[in-house]
Amino acid sequence: MTARDRAPLYVLGLIAGAFLLSSCEAPGGVAPIFPTPVSPNGQDIYNLYELISIPAIIIFVGTEAAILWVVIRYRRSRQPAGYVPPQIHGHNGLEIGWTLAPLAIVIAIAAYSFSVLQQDFQPVSNPDMTVIVSGHQFGWNYDYGNGVVVHQEGTLAGDVTPFVVPTHTLVKLVFKGTDVIHSWWVPAISGKTDAVPGYDNYSWLKIDQPGTWHGECAELCGVGHSTMQIIVQAMDKPAYTEWMYAQLTAVSLASPSPS
Amino acid sequence: MATTALPRPKSYDDTFFKPISLWLTTTDHKLIGIMYMATGLISMVIGGIFALIIRLQLSQPNLSVVDAETYNQLISAHGVTMIFFFVTIFLTGIANYMVPLMIGARDMAFPRVNLLGFWLVPVSILLYYGGFFTGGALDAGWTGYAPLTEKAYQSHSLGVDFWALSIIVWAISGIMASTNFLTTIVALRAPGMKLTRLPLFVWAQISTSILLLVVGAPLAAAMILVEFDRQLGTQFFTTTGRPVLYQHLFWFFGHPEVYIMILPGFGMISEIIPVFARKPIFGYMSMVAALFGIVFLSMTVWAHHMFTVGMNTYVEGFFMIMTMLIAVPTGIKFFNWIATAWWGSIEFTVPMKFVFGFLATFLIGGITGVYLASVPVDTQLHQSYFVVAHLHYVLFGGSVFTIFAGVYYWFPKITGRMMNRASGEWNFWTAFVGFNGTFLIMHTLGLEGMPRRIATYTNATWATTNLIITASSFLLAFSVLLFLINVVRSWNHGEIAGNDPWEANTLEWATSSPPPPYNFEGVPPVRSFMPLRDLREAEALAGGQAAPAGA
Repeated sequence: MTARDRAPLYVLGLIAGAFLLSSCEAPGGVAPIFPTPVSPNGQDIYNLYELISIPAIIIFVGTEAAILWVVIRYRRSRQPAGYVPPQIHGHNGLEIGWTLAPLAIVIAIAAYSFSVLQQDFQPVSNPDMTVIVSGHQFGWNYDYGNGVVVHQEGTLAGDVTPFVVPTHTLVKLVFKGTDVIHSWWVPAISGKTDAVPGYDNYSWLKIDQPGTWHGECAELCGVGHSTMQIIVQAMDKPAYTEWMYAQLTAVSLASPSPS
Repeated sequence: MATTALPRPKSYDDTFFKPISLWLTTTDHKLIGIMYMATGLISMVIGGIFALIIRLQLSQPNLSVVDAETYNQLISAHGVTMIFFFVTIFLTGIANYMVPLMIGARDMAFPRVNLLGFWLVPVSILLYYGGFFTGGALDAGWTGYAPLTEKAYQSHSLGVDFWALSIIVWAISGIMASTNFLTTIVALRAPGMKLTRLPLFVWAQISTSILLLVVGAPLAAAMILVEFDRQLGTQFFTTTGRPVLYQHLFWFFGHPEVYIMILPGFGMISEIIPVFARKPIFGYMSMVAALFGIVFLSMTVWAHHMFTVGMNTYVEGFFMIMTMLIAVPTGIKFFNWIATAWWGSIEFTVPMKFVFGFLATFLIGGITGVYLASVPVDTQLHQSYFVVAHLHYVLFGGSVFTIFAGVYYWFPKITGRMMNRASGEWNFWTAFVGFNGTFLIMHTLGLEGMPRRIATYTNATWATTNLIITASSFLLAFSVLLFLINVVRSWNHGEIAGNDPWEANTLEWATSSPPPPYNFEGVPPVRSFMPLRDLREAEALAGGQAAPAGA
């Protein structure tokens, strides 16, 4: 065996060792899929993702298998001595086949994606409540429209003031940008929505279980970008009403006396 | 030919060390090509060092190897360096060297424009890095989204201005090179070199040049408007202007740029597989058609980088279907490559190993691209580490693997010497394992919710994955180091190659290695897209021996 034949063995051995070591201490560290969605629009994305994965995995496995087969079967050392490969310049049927098959697959994926897009990505017209979310360097303000504004100023530790929503409620989110572009992203709820100065952008959420979910600003917005953390807290209706009452009281106590 | 009137450079031998005056003034496309490639490799080292610092910073939560401001400058510089100053420039260099040889021409159509175009590149690079000495270079990512680049948010330094100027110069240089390539290929082909006999690498260079010619100017325009905003107080992209307009202009360049960086690589793959499988390319015409399909489609997909800015859903649907359609011509190329190797007699030399490494990894980048094209799924994956993994699969597993393959393949022609094979095997296996170790598990970080471009993170569940990624990235860096050492050592000490060490098919192998300044003593007759193979077969018949095909 020459040095160049041994090279792959050494490297693969090294990697196998590294993976064995790392797998000992990484329970749940490598999750192949999104966090469990808690809002219907997030659930639709999750389902779409899984659906795309079916043809994707089949094509991936099939094509890699073909590549591997070529590597193993058609190497010169496996061919008989003096083997002259057939001088094939193409095959119309095959070429048309592998043009049309991918075409059919991507059109199917696009059609299904488009139906989800039409269903979940329009501004909702019948919300139970509306919150105006505005991004700034470096934090988010949530304006409930009744005088209550949650100021979620960024901290690197991630212990930001939660944005509180009631459960079983369709909440329309209206995004506004006040300085640079920010992007609001809580993976367990749904995809990202950019807060761009100059126009409003829309999303929505409807969470049916109490709990707390984390997210972050996803658009580079300056030095404090990684501090722009997000916490969304869903409360049962009674707890929410109590929380909102406390907020309203705080607002009325702090209401400015004209001077 | 007009070029014969130009003074010829002094004769030079096969070492890298030539008088500096020759490097500065030569109009020889081969020396200019080498300068492009050397510039690209230097950029690769610089951009790689930036990448390693980034990986150190992210290896564990809450680290502060560098502060957030420096980190933002590093990610911007890494992106700009790798995309603008390494991959595009290196590929321009390899095409500069090979295209005239492959079509049997003496030089490029405009040799002096070629030299000027090259020297604009170091100017562009120095302008960009000049930003570091003005209080900080660009720190808004390589995409430089407005209004973060505006004066209101970037008053402390001239980094953005230096970046904008650098990109304008770079675009002018790219437009010059593209014009030159197109003119050369149209006007200077050897007798018999009909369009249907062009090597696929030359077809790929035609497609690339068309793209850069079309999208280079809008890029320069976007940068000029950024400068107007910053220096003249206009309101194109400011908070009161239209920040999203910047994104449209930038991505009208930015997405075709992806193909500017991969189509020459596609061309190399199409050259290398037939040589080492001893079979002609499968479906020559559909390969050419697929290239032009990609050229057209790549200019109709730019807004798929903007699915979260809030556009009309029908417009988003249009960009989604156009993006997914690119999978069709790319699939044609992919299956044709596999069909070319099928039933072949494949010799797994180092370039061929990189070709198969490319096939195995680029497939993953192509498939994740379909996920990203789907608008609803993209709103989850956009601006996360899933995208970082995807783009490195197409840019590193794609473009850079083809660059490695191309260098190992053409090094004997350029230097007259073979690259060391044992070292090349180590280079390939460490690159393949280091690359996949770095970027395969990175997809999961994005799915779990880690945004890209964050200077640090608190989430402890991301720590192990990030540590594995950082360790693998150092293996990858080691691999690149092996490659560079191999290039430098083999240039002066490698085995002597001879004119045609691989028994290849195309014209560049018909002349000496390295070729003389005038390229060819006489161009062989061109009667197919594999003129050299025709020549070998004719010689074998004339010699009364059986053709040693597959030997």
